[in-house]
Amino acid sequence: MEHNLGAIDMVIGAKGSPLQLVLASVLHLDNPTGNISYNEAKKIAKSRMIKSAVPISYGDNYKGFRIVGTTNKFYNFYHATLNKGKKNKKPMEVVLGATVAKQLKLNVGDTFFSSHGMVENDIDIHNEKLTIVGILKPTKKVIDRLIITHLESIWEVHNHHEHQDNNEDEVHSTNHNTENYTIEHEDHEEKQITSLLVSFKNPRGLLTFPRKINKSTNMQATLPKYELERLSEYTGIGFTTISWIAYLILLISGMTILISLYKMVKERAFDLALLRSYGASNLQLIKMVAYEGIIIATIAFVIGFLLVKIGLRIVFNFMNSGYKQHILQEVSFYNILNAGLLVFVMILLSITLAIYPIIKMNISTILSHEK
Amino acid sequence: MVQTNKLTFQYKKDEHTFSFPDINLKENENVLILGKSGIGKTTLLHLLAELLKPTTGKVTINNLDLDSLSNNTLDIYRGKHIGLVFQKKHAVQSLSVIDNLKARLMFSKRKIDTVAIERLLEQLGLLDYKNKRILALSEGQLQRLGIALSVVHCPKVVLADEPTSSLDDENCTVVMELLLEQAKQTNANLIVITHDQRVKPFFTNTITL
Repeated sequence: MEHNLGAIDMVIGAKGSPLQLVLASVLHLDNPTGNISYNEAKKIAKSRMIKSAVPISYGDNYKGFRIVGTTNKFYNFYHATLNKGKKNKKPMEVVLGATVAKQLKLNVGDTFFSSHGMVENDIDIHNEKLTIVGILKPTKKVIDRLIITHLESIWEVHNHHEHQDNNEDEVHSTNHNTENYTIEHEDHEEKQITSLLVSFKNPRGLLTFPRKINKSTNMQATLPKYELERLSEYTGIGFTTISWIAYLILLISGMTILISLYKMVKERAFDLALLRSYGASNLQLIKMVAYEGIIIATIAFVIGFLLVKIGLRIVFNFMNSGYKQHILQEVSFYNILNAGLLVFVMILLSITLAIYPIIKMNISTILSHEK
Repeated sequence: MVQTNKLTFQYKKDEHTFSFPDINLKENENVLILGKSGIGKTTLLHLLAELLKPTTGKVTINNLDLDSLSNNTLDIYRGKHIGLVFQKKHAVQSLSVIDNLKARLMFSKRKIDTVAIERLLEQLGLLDYKNKRILALSEGQLQRLGIALSVVHCPKVVLADEPTSSLDDENCTVVMELLLEQAKQTNANLIVITHDQRVKPFFTNTITL
Protein backbone atom coordinates (compact mmCIF):
# COMPACT_ATOMS: atom_id res chain seq x y z
CA MET A 1 0.00 0.00 0.00
CA GLU A 2 2.76 2.43 0.93
CA HIS A 3 4.08 2.07 -2.57
CA ASN A 4 0.89 3.80 -3.69
CA LEU A 5 1.61 6.95 -1.73
CA GLY A 6 4.07 8.20 -4.28
CA ALA A 7 5.85 11.19 -2.81
CA ILE A 8 2.88 12.45 -0.80
CA ASP A 9 3.94 13.33 2.75
CA MET A 10 0.85 15.11 4.00
CA VAL A 11 -2.77 15.68 3.02
CA ILE A 12 -4.77 18.74 3.98
CA GLY A 13 -8.53 18.49 3.75
CA ALA A 14 -11.79 19.23 5.52
CA LYS A 15 -12.15 18.19 9.14
CA GLY A 16 -13.35 14.67 9.67
CA SER A 17 -11.82 11.25 9.90
CA PRO A 18 -8.12 11.45 9.03
CA LEU A 19 -8.16 7.90 7.73
CA GLN A 20 -11.06 8.73 5.47
CA LEU A 21 -9.19 11.74 4.14
CA VAL A 22 -6.18 9.57 3.32
CA LEU A 23 -8.25 6.81 1.76
CA ALA A 24 -10.17 9.32 -0.33
CA SER A 25 -7.40 11.68 -1.42
CA VAL A 26 -4.37 9.42 -1.62
CA LEU A 27 -5.67 5.94 -2.38
CA HIS A 28 -8.87 7.19 -4.06
CA LEU A 29 -10.96 4.57 -2.31
CA ASP A 30 -13.34 6.42 0.01
CA ASN A 31 -15.56 9.47 -0.29
CA PRO A 32 -14.02 12.84 0.56
CA THR A 33 -14.51 14.44 3.97
CA GLY A 34 -15.68 17.70 2.42
CA ASN A 35 -14.22 20.71 0.67
CA ILE A 36 -11.71 23.34 1.70
CA SER A 37 -11.15 26.83 0.37
CA TYR A 38 -8.68 26.98 -2.48
CA ASN A 39 -7.58 30.38 -1.22
CA GLU A 40 -6.61 29.12 2.19
CA ALA A 41 -4.92 26.13 0.71
CA LYS A 42 -2.85 28.40 -1.48
CA LYS A 43 -1.76 30.39 1.56
CA ILE A 44 -0.50 27.22 3.21
CA ALA A 45 1.23 26.15 0.04
CA LYS A 46 3.41 29.24 0.20
CA SER A 47 5.22 27.96 3.30
CA ARG A 48 8.96 27.60 2.92
CA MET A 49 8.96 24.07 4.30
CA ILE A 50 6.87 22.76 1.46
CA LYS A 51 8.51 21.41 -1.65
CA SER A 52 5.31 21.06 -3.61
CA ALA A 53 1.63 21.37 -2.83
CA VAL A 54 -0.88 20.09 -5.32
CA PRO A 55 -4.60 20.80 -5.05
CA ILE A 56 -7.01 18.07 -6.06
CA SER A 57 -10.70 18.19 -6.54
CA TYR A 58 -13.04 15.47 -7.52
CA GLY A 59 -16.59 14.28 -7.44
CA ASP A 60 -17.12 12.74 -10.84
CA ASN A 61 -16.36 9.47 -12.49
CA TYR A 62 -16.46 7.85 -15.85
CA LYS A 63 -17.58 4.20 -15.79
CA GLY A 64 -16.37 3.99 -12.20
CA PHE A 65 -12.93 5.50 -12.75
CA ARG A 66 -12.48 8.70 -10.76
CA ILE A 67 -11.85 11.97 -12.48
CA VAL A 68 -9.34 14.05 -10.54
CA GLY A 69 -9.06 17.75 -11.13
CA THR A 70 -5.56 18.91 -10.31
CA THR A 71 -2.52 20.71 -11.66
CA ASN A 72 0.24 19.24 -13.77
CA LYS A 73 2.43 18.87 -10.68
CA PHE A 74 0.23 15.92 -9.71
CA TYR A 75 2.14 13.69 -12.15
CA ASN A 76 5.38 14.29 -10.28
CA PHE A 77 4.13 12.48 -7.16
CA TYR A 78 4.02 9.23 -9.13
CA HIS A 79 6.82 9.92 -11.61
CA ALA A 80 4.18 9.35 -14.25
CA THR A 81 5.17 9.94 -17.86
CA LEU A 82 3.14 10.00 -21.02
CA ASN A 83 2.81 6.97 -23.24
CA LYS A 84 0.78 8.74 -25.92
CA GLY A 85 -0.43 12.25 -26.66
CA LYS A 86 0.29 15.28 -24.47
CA LYS A 87 -0.52 16.54 -21.01
CA ASN A 88 -3.78 18.36 -20.43
CA LYS A 89 -3.44 22.16 -20.73
CA LYS A 90 -6.90 23.50 -21.25
CA PRO A 91 -10.04 22.80 -19.24
CA MET A 92 -12.07 19.82 -20.46
CA GLU A 93 -8.94 18.01 -21.60
CA VAL A 94 -8.12 14.79 -19.75
CA VAL A 95 -5.23 12.36 -19.45
CA LEU A 96 -5.97 8.70 -18.70
CA GLY A 97 -4.06 6.36 -16.42
CA ALA A 98 -2.76 3.24 -18.17
CA THR A 99 -5.32 0.86 -16.65
CA VAL A 100 -8.23 3.16 -17.44
CA ALA A 101 -7.24 3.38 -21.09
CA LYS A 102 -6.71 -0.35 -21.32
CA GLN A 103 -9.92 -1.40 -19.61
CA LEU A 104 -12.19 1.09 -21.31
CA LYS A 105 -10.37 0.75 -24.64
CA LEU A 106 -10.08 4.51 -25.01
CA ASN A 107 -7.55 6.36 -27.08
CA VAL A 108 -6.23 9.87 -27.60
CA GLY A 109 -8.88 11.99 -29.33
CA ASP A 110 -11.84 10.08 -27.90
CA THR A 111 -14.45 12.04 -25.96
CA PHE A 112 -16.85 11.11 -23.17
CA PHE A 113 -19.30 12.57 -20.66
CA SER A 114 -18.55 12.22 -16.98
CA SER A 115 -21.17 11.26 -14.44
CA HIS A 116 -21.65 12.68 -11.00
CA GLY A 117 -20.47 10.84 -7.89
CA MET A 118 -17.87 8.21 -7.19
CA VAL A 119 -19.66 5.16 -8.52
CA GLU A 120 -20.75 4.41 -12.04
CA ASN A 121 -24.29 5.54 -12.79
CA ASP A 122 -26.33 6.41 -15.86
CA ILE A 123 -28.70 8.94 -14.34
CA ASP A 124 -26.57 11.88 -13.27
CA ILE A 125 -24.55 12.59 -16.38
CA HIS A 126 -22.93 15.97 -17.03
CA ASN A 127 -23.39 17.74 -20.35
CA GLU A 128 -19.77 18.79 -20.82
CA LYS A 129 -17.75 16.74 -23.20
CA LEU A 130 -14.28 15.71 -22.01
CA THR A 131 -11.58 15.09 -24.60
CA ILE A 132 -8.71 12.65 -24.10
CA VAL A 133 -5.41 14.28 -24.98
CA GLY A 134 -2.95 11.83 -23.44
CA ILE A 135 -2.45 8.38 -21.93
CA LEU A 136 0.12 7.62 -19.21
CA LYS A 137 2.61 4.79 -19.03
CA PRO A 138 1.80 2.12 -16.41
CA THR A 139 3.28 3.00 -12.99
CA LYS A 140 1.74 0.24 -10.84
CA LYS A 141 0.55 3.07 -8.63
CA VAL A 142 -2.85 4.53 -7.93
CA ILE A 143 -2.55 6.94 -10.87
CA ASP A 144 -2.98 4.04 -13.33
CA ARG A 145 -6.65 3.97 -12.39
CA LEU A 146 -7.37 7.69 -12.48
CA ILE A 147 -8.57 10.15 -15.08
CA ILE A 148 -6.65 13.39 -14.67
CA THR A 149 -7.86 16.76 -15.74
CA HIS A 150 -7.34 20.40 -14.86
CA LEU A 151 -8.98 21.80 -11.72
CA GLU A 152 -10.97 24.14 -13.93
CA SER A 153 -12.70 21.27 -15.68
CA ILE A 154 -14.23 20.06 -12.44
CA TRP A 155 -15.29 23.58 -11.50
CA GLU A 156 -16.67 24.26 -14.91
CA VAL A 157 -18.71 21.08 -14.98
CA HIS A 158 -20.16 21.76 -11.58
CA ASN A 159 -20.54 25.54 -11.84
CA HIS A 160 -22.64 25.08 -14.87
CA HIS A 161 -25.12 23.31 -12.69
CA GLU A 162 -25.05 26.09 -10.14
CA HIS A 163 -25.30 28.84 -12.70
CA GLN A 164 -28.28 27.23 -14.28
CA ASP A 165 -29.90 27.01 -10.87
CA ASN A 166 -29.09 30.65 -10.22
CA ASN A 167 -30.65 31.72 -13.47
CA GLU A 168 -33.95 30.36 -12.36
CA ASP A 169 -33.89 32.11 -8.99
CA GLU A 170 -32.14 35.39 -9.63
CA VAL A 171 -32.80 38.05 -12.15
CA HIS A 172 -29.65 40.14 -12.11
CA SER A 173 -27.47 37.90 -14.20
CA THR A 174 -28.55 39.14 -17.61
CA ASN A 175 -25.22 39.36 -19.38
CA HIS A 176 -24.04 36.25 -17.63
CA ASN A 177 -23.22 34.21 -20.66
CA THR A 178 -20.96 36.74 -22.34
CA GLU A 179 -19.00 37.35 -19.17
CA ASN A 180 -18.84 33.71 -18.32
CA TYR A 181 -15.10 33.35 -18.68
CA THR A 182 -14.18 36.44 -16.66
CA ILE A 183 -16.57 35.45 -13.93
CA GLU A 184 -14.87 32.12 -13.82
CA HIS A 185 -11.62 33.87 -13.17
CA GLU A 186 -12.99 36.15 -10.48
CA ASP A 187 -14.65 33.18 -8.88
CA HIS A 188 -11.29 31.51 -8.72
CA GLU A 189 -10.61 33.18 -5.40
CA GLU A 190 -13.64 31.58 -3.76
CA LYS A 191 -13.13 28.18 -5.31
CA GLN A 192 -13.27 25.03 -3.30
CA ILE A 193 -10.97 22.05 -3.58
CA THR A 194 -11.23 18.64 -1.96
CA SER A 195 -7.75 18.47 -0.57
CA LEU A 196 -4.17 19.59 -0.90
CA LEU A 197 -1.41 17.02 -1.34
CA VAL A 198 1.88 18.13 0.13
CA SER A 199 5.47 16.97 -0.01
CA PHE A 200 8.04 18.55 2.30
CA LYS A 201 11.52 19.76 1.64
CA ASN A 202 12.79 17.85 4.64
CA PRO A 203 11.25 15.44 7.16
CA ARG A 204 11.16 18.09 9.87
CA GLY A 205 7.97 19.40 8.32
CA LEU A 206 6.24 16.14 9.23
CA LEU A 207 6.61 16.95 12.90
CA THR A 208 5.49 20.55 13.14
CA PHE A 209 3.32 21.29 10.16
CA PRO A 210 0.28 19.07 10.80
CA ARG A 211 -0.09 20.31 14.38
CA LYS A 212 0.02 23.93 13.26
CA ILE A 213 -2.74 23.43 10.69
CA ASN A 214 -4.95 21.36 12.95
CA LYS A 215 -4.75 24.04 15.65
CA SER A 216 -4.94 27.26 13.74
CA THR A 217 -7.26 26.52 10.82
CA ASN A 218 -10.60 24.82 10.29
CA MET A 219 -8.88 22.26 8.07
CA GLN A 220 -7.12 19.10 9.06
CA ALA A 221 -3.70 17.90 8.06
CA THR A 222 -2.88 14.24 8.18
CA LEU A 223 0.08 12.04 7.34
CA PRO A 224 -0.82 9.20 4.95
CA LYS A 225 2.04 7.00 6.06
CA TYR A 226 0.97 7.22 9.68
CA GLU A 227 -2.71 6.66 8.94
CA LEU A 228 -2.02 3.66 6.74
CA GLU A 229 0.22 2.18 9.40
CA ARG A 230 -2.67 2.55 11.81
CA LEU A 231 -4.98 0.90 9.30
CA SER A 232 -2.66 -2.03 8.83
CA GLU A 233 -2.49 -2.37 12.60
CA TYR A 234 -6.25 -2.83 12.64
CA THR A 235 -6.25 -5.28 9.77
CA GLY A 236 -2.81 -6.64 10.64
CA ILE A 237 -4.05 -9.67 12.54
CA GLY A 238 -5.87 -10.88 9.47
CA PHE A 239 -2.87 -10.37 7.22
CA THR A 240 -0.53 -12.00 9.73
CA THR A 241 -2.81 -15.01 10.05
CA ILE A 242 -3.03 -15.39 6.31
CA SER A 243 0.73 -15.18 5.90
CA TRP A 244 1.26 -17.71 8.69
CA ILE A 245 -1.14 -20.06 6.95
CA ALA A 246 0.77 -19.50 3.72
CA TYR A 247 4.07 -20.30 5.44
CA LEU A 248 2.51 -23.39 6.99
CA ILE A 249 1.35 -24.55 3.58
CA LEU A 250 4.84 -23.91 2.24
CA LEU A 251 6.32 -25.95 5.06
CA ILE A 252 3.91 -28.80 4.44
CA SER A 253 4.65 -28.80 0.72
CA GLY A 254 8.35 -28.78 1.51
CA MET A 255 7.80 -31.81 3.70
CA THR A 256 5.81 -33.47 0.94
CA ILE A 257 8.73 -33.03 -1.42
CA LEU A 258 11.03 -34.45 1.23
CA ILE A 259 8.80 -37.44 1.83
CA SER A 260 8.33 -38.19 -1.86
CA LEU A 261 12.05 -37.94 -2.53
CA TYR A 262 12.84 -40.05 0.51
CA LYS A 263 10.27 -42.61 -0.58
CA MET A 264 11.72 -42.60 -4.08
CA VAL A 265 15.20 -43.24 -2.71
CA LYS A 266 13.91 -46.05 -0.50
CA GLU A 267 11.69 -47.64 -3.13
CA ARG A 268 14.35 -47.53 -5.78
CA ALA A 269 17.12 -48.52 -3.40
CA PHE A 270 17.75 -51.63 -5.47
CA ASP A 271 17.90 -49.68 -8.72
CA LEU A 272 20.29 -47.22 -7.14
CA ALA A 273 22.46 -50.00 -5.73
CA LEU A 274 22.42 -51.59 -9.17
CA LEU A 275 23.69 -48.35 -10.68
CA ARG A 276 26.39 -48.25 -8.03
CA SER A 277 27.46 -51.77 -9.07
CA TYR A 278 27.63 -50.44 -12.64
CA GLY A 279 30.26 -47.99 -11.49
CA ALA A 280 28.11 -44.96 -10.69
CA SER A 281 29.50 -42.82 -7.90
CA ASN A 282 27.54 -41.63 -4.89
CA LEU A 283 27.68 -38.13 -6.29
CA GLN A 284 26.04 -39.21 -9.54
CA LEU A 285 23.16 -40.79 -7.64
CA ILE A 286 22.78 -37.73 -5.44
CA LYS A 287 22.66 -35.56 -8.55
CA MET A 288 19.90 -37.75 -9.98
CA VAL A 289 17.78 -37.32 -6.85
CA ALA A 290 18.51 -33.60 -6.70
CA TYR A 291 17.52 -33.07 -10.33
CA GLU A 292 14.29 -34.96 -9.76
CA GLY A 293 13.49 -32.79 -6.74
CA ILE A 294 14.33 -29.57 -8.53
CA ILE A 295 12.35 -30.49 -11.64
CA ILE A 296 9.26 -31.42 -9.61
CA ALA A 297 9.48 -28.28 -7.49
CA THR A 298 10.10 -25.99 -10.46
CA ILE A 299 7.09 -27.34 -12.33
CA ALA A 300 5.00 -27.01 -9.17
CA PHE A 301 6.22 -23.45 -8.64
CA VAL A 302 5.40 -22.41 -12.19
CA ILE A 303 1.94 -23.99 -12.05
CA GLY A 304 1.29 -22.45 -8.63
CA PHE A 305 2.44 -19.05 -9.82
CA LEU A 306 0.17 -19.18 -12.87
CA LEU A 307 -2.78 -20.25 -10.72
CA VAL A 308 -2.17 -17.35 -8.33
CA LYS A 309 -1.97 -14.92 -11.26
CA ILE A 310 -5.17 -16.21 -12.81
CA GLY A 311 -6.90 -16.45 -9.42
CA LEU A 312 -6.03 -12.87 -8.50
CA ARG A 313 -7.16 -11.64 -11.88
CA ILE A 314 -10.52 -13.32 -11.37
CA VAL A 315 -10.88 -12.00 -7.83
CA PHE A 316 -9.94 -8.48 -8.94
CA ASN A 317 -12.44 -8.55 -11.78
CA PHE A 318 -15.06 -9.79 -9.36
CA MET A 319 -14.43 -7.05 -6.81
CA ASN A 320 -13.96 -4.27 -9.32
CA SER A 321 -17.62 -3.92 -10.18
CA GLY A 322 -18.21 -0.74 -8.13
CA TYR A 323 -15.03 1.07 -7.19
CA LYS A 324 -12.31 0.94 -9.76
CA GLN A 325 -9.58 1.53 -7.21
CA HIS A 326 -8.41 -1.22 -4.88
CA ILE A 327 -5.96 -1.53 -2.01
CA LEU A 328 -4.47 -4.82 -3.15
CA GLN A 329 -1.80 -4.60 -5.77
CA GLU A 330 -0.74 -7.29 -8.19
CA VAL A 331 1.91 -9.68 -6.91
CA SER A 332 5.18 -7.86 -7.45
CA PHE A 333 8.37 -9.30 -8.83
CA TYR A 334 9.98 -8.88 -5.42
CA ASN A 335 7.30 -11.05 -3.79
CA ILE A 336 7.78 -13.73 -6.40
CA LEU A 337 11.53 -13.64 -5.93
CA ASN A 338 11.05 -13.92 -2.19
CA ALA A 339 8.69 -16.88 -2.46
CA GLY A 340 10.93 -18.49 -5.05
CA LEU A 341 13.93 -18.16 -2.78
CA LEU A 342 12.05 -19.69 0.12
CA VAL A 343 10.90 -22.59 -2.03
CA PHE A 344 14.46 -23.08 -3.26
CA VAL A 345 15.81 -23.26 0.31
CA MET A 346 13.02 -25.70 1.13
CA ILE A 347 13.96 -27.97 -1.79
CA LEU A 348 17.62 -27.82 -0.92
CA LEU A 349 16.80 -28.89 2.61
CA SER A 350 14.52 -31.68 1.37
CA ILE A 351 17.15 -32.97 -1.00
CA THR A 352 19.84 -32.91 1.67
CA LEU A 353 17.67 -35.00 3.95
CA ALA A 354 16.48 -37.31 1.19
CA ILE A 355 19.96 -38.22 -0.01
CA TYR A 356 21.01 -39.36 3.44
CA PRO A 357 20.06 -43.01 2.67
CA ILE A 358 22.21 -42.86 -0.47
CA ILE A 359 25.24 -41.80 1.50
CA LYS A 360 24.60 -44.51 4.08
CA MET A 361 23.74 -47.07 1.40
CA ASN A 362 25.17 -50.55 1.82
CA ILE A 363 25.14 -51.96 -1.70
CA SER A 364 25.81 -55.47 -0.55
CA THR A 365 22.86 -55.59 1.84
CA ILE A 366 20.46 -54.11 -0.70
CA LEU A 367 21.61 -56.38 -3.52
CA SER A 368 21.39 -59.52 -1.37
CA HIS A 369 17.77 -58.72 -0.49
CA GLU A 370 16.55 -58.56 -4.04
CA LYS A 371 13.56 -60.79 -3.47
CA MET B 1 42.40 -64.71 -13.73
CA VAL B 2 40.73 -64.79 -10.36
CA GLN B 3 42.38 -65.89 -7.16
CA THR B 4 41.22 -65.90 -3.57
CA ASN B 5 43.38 -66.58 -0.59
CA LYS B 6 41.97 -67.76 2.77
CA LEU B 7 38.87 -65.59 2.61
CA THR B 8 36.89 -65.20 5.83
CA PHE B 9 34.06 -62.87 6.64
CA GLN B 10 32.23 -61.81 9.78
CA TYR B 11 29.09 -59.64 9.51
CA LYS B 12 29.44 -58.36 13.05
CA LYS B 13 32.03 -59.00 15.68
CA ASP B 14 31.37 -62.13 17.76
CA GLU B 15 29.07 -63.51 15.11
CA HIS B 16 29.53 -66.60 12.99
CA THR B 17 32.61 -66.43 10.78
CA PHE B 18 32.24 -67.61 7.19
CA SER B 19 35.39 -69.14 5.77
CA PHE B 20 35.66 -70.01 2.10
CA PRO B 21 37.85 -72.41 0.13
CA ASP B 22 40.42 -70.82 -2.15
CA ILE B 23 39.48 -70.22 -5.78
CA ASN B 24 42.12 -70.20 -8.48
CA LEU B 25 40.93 -69.59 -12.03
CA LYS B 26 43.15 -69.31 -15.06
CA GLU B 27 42.15 -67.45 -18.21
CA ASN B 28 38.82 -68.62 -19.72
CA GLU B 29 38.24 -70.99 -16.81
CA ASN B 30 34.84 -71.17 -15.24
CA VAL B 31 33.69 -72.50 -11.91
CA LEU B 32 30.45 -73.55 -10.31
CA ILE B 33 30.10 -73.00 -6.58
CA LEU B 34 27.38 -75.15 -5.07
CA GLY B 35 25.98 -74.75 -1.61
CA LYS B 36 22.85 -74.85 0.51
CA SER B 37 20.98 -71.76 1.62
CA GLY B 38 22.55 -69.87 4.49
CA ILE B 39 26.02 -71.17 3.91
CA GLY B 40 27.25 -67.79 2.69
CA LYS B 41 26.96 -68.09 -1.08
CA THR B 42 25.89 -64.48 -1.66
CA THR B 43 28.49 -63.35 0.88
CA LEU B 44 31.20 -65.07 -1.15
CA LEU B 45 29.92 -63.48 -4.35
CA HIS B 46 29.93 -60.04 -2.76
CA LEU B 47 33.44 -60.66 -1.45
CA LEU B 48 34.55 -61.57 -4.97
CA ALA B 49 33.03 -58.35 -6.31
CA GLU B 50 34.52 -56.56 -3.31
CA LEU B 51 31.06 -55.25 -2.42
CA LEU B 52 32.02 -56.54 1.01
CA LYS B 53 35.52 -56.25 2.39
CA PRO B 54 36.85 -59.59 3.64
CA THR B 55 37.70 -59.84 7.34
CA THR B 56 40.87 -61.71 6.42
CA GLY B 57 42.35 -62.91 3.14
CA LYS B 58 42.30 -61.23 -0.24
CA VAL B 59 40.82 -61.28 -3.75
CA THR B 60 43.09 -60.86 -6.75
CA ILE B 61 41.87 -60.26 -10.29
CA ASN B 62 44.53 -60.27 -13.05
CA ASN B 63 47.17 -59.98 -10.32
CA LEU B 64 45.55 -56.87 -8.88
CA ASP B 65 44.78 -57.03 -5.18
CA LEU B 66 41.30 -55.46 -4.91
CA ASP B 67 41.89 -54.72 -1.25
CA SER B 68 44.62 -52.28 -2.15
CA LEU B 69 42.21 -50.00 -4.04
CA SER B 70 40.55 -46.98 -2.46
CA ASN B 71 36.77 -46.91 -2.33
CA ASN B 72 36.43 -44.64 -5.33
CA THR B 73 38.82 -46.50 -7.61
CA LEU B 74 37.24 -49.73 -6.45
CA ASP B 75 33.81 -48.46 -7.58
CA ILE B 76 35.22 -47.59 -10.96
CA TYR B 77 37.15 -50.87 -11.24
CA ARG B 78 34.07 -52.88 -10.32
CA GLY B 79 31.95 -51.01 -12.84
CA LYS B 80 34.48 -51.61 -15.60
CA HIS B 81 35.70 -55.13 -15.03
CA ILE B 82 33.07 -57.06 -13.13
CA GLY B 83 29.65 -58.14 -14.38
CA LEU B 84 26.99 -59.22 -11.93
CA VAL B 85 24.00 -61.45 -12.73
CA PHE B 86 21.23 -61.52 -10.15
CA GLN B 87 18.45 -63.92 -9.40
CA LYS B 88 15.37 -61.86 -10.11
CA LYS B 89 15.82 -58.15 -10.41
CA HIS B 90 18.21 -57.23 -13.12
CA ALA B 91 17.51 -53.83 -14.51
CA VAL B 92 16.32 -50.34 -13.63
CA GLN B 93 12.54 -50.41 -13.87
CA SER B 94 12.05 -46.93 -15.24
CA LEU B 95 14.27 -47.45 -18.27
CA SER B 96 13.71 -49.44 -21.44
CA VAL B 97 15.81 -52.51 -22.31
CA ILE B 98 18.23 -50.63 -24.55
CA ASP B 99 18.46 -47.66 -22.19
CA ASN B 100 19.44 -50.00 -19.38
CA LEU B 101 22.31 -51.30 -21.47
CA LYS B 102 23.33 -47.77 -22.44
CA ALA B 103 23.21 -46.68 -18.80
CA ARG B 104 25.35 -49.67 -17.87
CA LEU B 105 27.99 -48.53 -20.35
CA MET B 106 27.67 -44.89 -19.40
CA PHE B 107 28.22 -45.49 -15.70
CA SER B 108 31.22 -47.75 -16.32
CA LYS B 109 32.61 -45.02 -18.62
CA ARG B 110 32.69 -47.26 -21.70
CA LYS B 111 31.93 -46.13 -25.22
CA ILE B 112 28.26 -46.56 -26.08
CA ASP B 113 28.23 -48.64 -29.24
CA THR B 114 24.63 -49.12 -30.33
CA VAL B 115 25.55 -51.63 -33.04
CA ALA B 116 27.36 -53.84 -30.52
CA ILE B 117 24.46 -53.59 -28.09
CA GLU B 118 21.99 -54.63 -30.79
CA ARG B 119 24.20 -57.53 -31.81
CA LEU B 120 24.27 -58.71 -28.20
CA LEU B 121 20.49 -58.36 -27.90
CA GLU B 122 20.07 -60.36 -31.08
CA GLN B 123 22.25 -63.17 -29.73
CA LEU B 124 20.10 -63.26 -26.61
CA GLY B 125 16.84 -63.10 -28.61
CA LEU B 126 15.88 -59.71 -27.19
CA LEU B 127 16.26 -57.45 -30.22
CA ASP B 128 12.48 -57.21 -30.71
CA TYR B 129 12.15 -56.03 -27.14
CA LYS B 130 14.80 -53.35 -27.15
CA ASN B 131 12.36 -50.48 -26.62
CA LYS B 132 10.13 -52.36 -24.17
CA ARG B 133 9.83 -51.46 -20.53
CA ILE B 134 11.33 -53.83 -18.00
CA LEU B 135 7.90 -54.64 -16.55
CA ALA B 136 6.73 -55.88 -19.94
CA LEU B 137 9.32 -58.69 -20.05
CA SER B 138 8.80 -62.30 -18.99
CA GLU B 139 10.99 -63.98 -16.38
CA GLY B 140 13.10 -65.77 -18.99
CA GLN B 141 13.54 -62.58 -21.01
CA LEU B 142 14.51 -60.70 -17.87
CA GLN B 143 17.14 -63.27 -17.00
CA ARG B 144 18.54 -62.99 -20.53
CA LEU B 145 18.62 -59.21 -20.14
CA GLY B 146 20.49 -59.79 -16.88
CA ILE B 147 23.12 -61.70 -18.84
CA ALA B 148 23.30 -58.93 -21.40
CA LEU B 149 23.85 -56.37 -18.65
CA SER B 150 26.61 -58.47 -17.08
CA VAL B 151 28.66 -58.80 -20.28
CA VAL B 152 27.85 -55.68 -22.33
CA HIS B 153 30.88 -53.81 -20.96
CA CYS B 154 33.33 -56.71 -21.66
CA PRO B 155 34.23 -57.48 -18.03
CA LYS B 156 37.07 -59.66 -16.80
CA VAL B 157 34.86 -61.58 -14.41
CA VAL B 158 31.17 -62.45 -14.59
CA LEU B 159 29.63 -63.30 -11.23
CA ALA B 160 26.20 -64.94 -11.26
CA ASP B 161 24.15 -65.30 -8.08
CA GLU B 162 21.50 -68.00 -8.40
CA PRO B 163 20.82 -67.10 -12.05
CA THR B 164 18.52 -70.07 -12.67
CA SER B 165 16.59 -70.62 -9.46
CA SER B 166 13.40 -68.93 -10.63
CA LEU B 167 13.45 -70.48 -14.12
CA ASP B 168 11.87 -73.64 -15.51
CA ASP B 169 14.06 -76.43 -16.93
CA GLU B 170 13.90 -75.17 -20.48
CA ASN B 171 14.83 -71.59 -19.61
CA CYS B 172 17.47 -72.89 -17.19
CA THR B 173 19.27 -74.63 -20.06
CA VAL B 174 18.92 -71.62 -22.37
CA VAL B 175 20.23 -69.21 -19.77
CA MET B 176 23.21 -71.37 -18.76
CA GLU B 177 24.21 -71.92 -22.38
CA LEU B 178 23.99 -68.21 -23.12
CA LEU B 179 25.91 -67.34 -19.99
CA LEU B 180 28.76 -69.69 -20.86
CA GLU B 181 28.79 -68.52 -24.44
CA GLN B 182 28.85 -64.82 -23.58
CA ALA B 183 31.59 -65.33 -20.99
CA LYS B 184 33.64 -67.12 -23.62
CA GLN B 185 33.06 -64.39 -26.20
CA THR B 186 34.22 -61.65 -23.84
CA ASN B 187 37.14 -63.72 -22.48
CA ALA B 188 35.77 -63.46 -18.95
CA ASN B 189 35.99 -65.88 -16.05
CA LEU B 190 32.48 -67.05 -15.16
CA ILE B 191 31.68 -67.84 -11.57
CA VAL B 192 28.19 -69.19 -10.89
CA ILE B 193 27.04 -69.57 -7.33
CA THR B 194 23.88 -71.60 -6.82
CA HIS B 195 22.08 -74.37 -4.96
CA ASP B 196 20.46 -75.42 -8.24
CA GLN B 197 21.67 -78.94 -9.09
CA ARG B 198 20.44 -78.58 -12.70
CA VAL B 199 23.41 -76.33 -13.41
CA LYS B 200 26.00 -79.00 -12.50
CA PRO B 201 26.35 -80.65 -15.96
CA PHE B 202 27.43 -77.33 -17.52
CA PHE B 203 30.66 -77.15 -15.53
CA THR B 204 33.81 -79.22 -15.28
CA ASN B 205 35.04 -77.23 -12.29
CA THR B 206 32.88 -77.42 -9.19
CA ILE B 207 33.47 -76.26 -5.63
CA THR B 208 31.04 -77.33 -2.94
CA LEU B 209 30.75 -75.17 0.13
